[in-house]
Amino acid sequence: MRINKLVLRNFRNYSELSIGFKDNINILIGNNAQGKTNILEAMYLGAIGRSHRTSVESDLVRWSETMSAVEISFIRQDIDNKLLFKLKTDTAREIYFNEYPIKLKELVGSLNIVLFSPEDLWLIKGVPALRRRFLDVEISQAVPTYYRYLMQYSRILSQRNNLLKKIRERKESASLLDSWDDQLAKAAVYIVNKRLESIKKLGMLANLMQRKLTASKENLTIVYKQANGEECIPKDLYGWYLKKLVTLKNDDIMRGTTSVGPHRDDIILKVNDKDLRSFGSQGQQRTGILALKLAELEFLKSETGEYPILLMDDVMSELDIKRRQQLLLFIHNRIQTFITATDDALFPDKKIGHYYRISAGTIVE
Amino acid sequence: MQYIAPLAKLIEQFRRLPGIGPKTAVRLAYHVLAMEKDQAKAFAEAIIEAKDKIGYCSVCFNLTDCDPCRICRSEERDGSLICVVEEPRDIAAMERTREYRGFYHVLHGSLSPLDGVGPDDLRLKELLERMRDGKVVEVIMATNPDVEGEATAMYVARLLKPLGIKVTRIGHGLPVGGDLEYADEVTLSKALENRREM
Repeated sequence: MRINKLVLRNFRNYSELSIGFKDNINILIGNNAQGKTNILEAMYLGAIGRSHRTSVESDLVRWSETMSAVEISFIRQDIDNKLLFKLKTDTAREIYFNEYPIKLKELVGSLNIVLFSPEDLWLIKGVPALRRRFLDVEISQAVPTYYRYLMQYSRILSQRNNLLKKIRERKESASLLDSWDDQLAKAAVYIVNKRLESIKKLGMLANLMQRKLTASKENLTIVYKQANGEECIPKDLYGWYLKKLVTLKNDDIMRGTTSVGPHRDDIILKVNDKDLRSFGSQGQQRTGILALKLAELEFLKSETGEYPILLMDDVMSELDIKRRQQLLLFIHNRIQTFITATDDALFPDKKIGHYYRISAGTIVE
Repeated sequence: MQYIAPLAKLIEQFRRLPGIGPKTAVRLAYHVLAMEKDQAKAFAEAIIEAKDKIGYCSVCFNLTDCDPCRICRSEERDGSLICVVEEPRDIAAMERTREYRGFYHVLHGSLSPLDGVGPDDLRLKELLERMRDGKVVEVIMATNPDVEGEATAMYVARLLKPLGIKVTRIGHGLPVGGDLEYADEVTLSKALENRREM
């Protein structure tokens, strides 16, 4: 997969930009606040349908304008495609795939992207929601059906949670819960099984990367942890969920939320069997994240038959020279990559990559 | 732009209709103004007449101009079958098949806590009432295949099963005459789940 051309109109600090990109490594150099990350943001929007930085879509529209457009021309499986986003401050955005209007759920999986940014360290240190989101974005890109089940699950869940609150206020009878539990359990089983399957692959790939990065000294494992669950994932997941939903019913009513299900689960990263979050050093955590990101690339390749596009937002300065070289070696001639950096001294080998200088919303090659 | 008062009022009325945006409302209003007076009158009268003459059937809660409705009055239909739907327009869809020869029951909605719709807001008591005479053997749940329709079907099933009534759910799957490749993933995976042996 590769992005050929990006056109931005009234997007963030760009009033009008049209730029072609090369295969391999594209390096965007510029001082702070010149618009480097905005370019990556536009690409991320094209793949995931939302910004990685903000949930307020009108933030993406250039100051004092009401409409902005992002056009991404890319090649997937040797076929030219074009994605067009029209973002508006007053009405809903429109998405077009090859000139044809599509919905968000049809977008996911068209353009595959892996983003690597300094915030990724929070995948280890941060709250479980971040790790669930990481998994969900990965699996959705590989298996679009998964995304649809996620949407369905969250719909059932918000209906059930709303009902729980009404039962607590004695406005509805608790017997009504049964009609939602069955659906919730079925969707949960699909989601958890897909996650387990993906973690198995992702974990294996991540471990290979970790061993490569640490000269075989460290083993990385990924473990799925069910909320309110036991050590092992039960064989009859469906029956297990139905039972849990019943035994936790009174607690759930009291809290007004559902306390079991994939929306509460977590993944744990372990290095040499120790929890990376509590026992890993800063350096180990960074290596772990790098291994995980590289595994993500391989995972999407194995699922979709093609490497995704890699976006690296300001991560070069976070890595030491050795890891930087290992990383560049891995992506060189393999994956189309977009790297932002403030300083080209971070790239010792000038022959690697194509340079773009960015200043105040303009680009020079 | 400021419209003269009667025109603005007409535009506003059109705008309240489903699927009509501000621009379409203006277009429709100008169209009405261009009509012959007789035609405009006929249009307005048709609306009033429909409102006056059409009400809900006291048995199945379908729209009707006589009570009970024509379907409920029919003597050729199979009294052991009731098909439960969400809206009156679903009956029209079922009737187009000309395959179904039982009776209907319209719930007027589906369970949706988010929209504040509970069992008391649906015509459920009336459905239970219809089970009393013991004639009904099977109830077919033809609520929409979405999250809310599914929950409603499940709820009704739990309500009726203790009465010894067979409750069935219409199948989900691929549209007939369609191409497999155009089916969306969830429909396809549901169709796979509900596959049958040949």
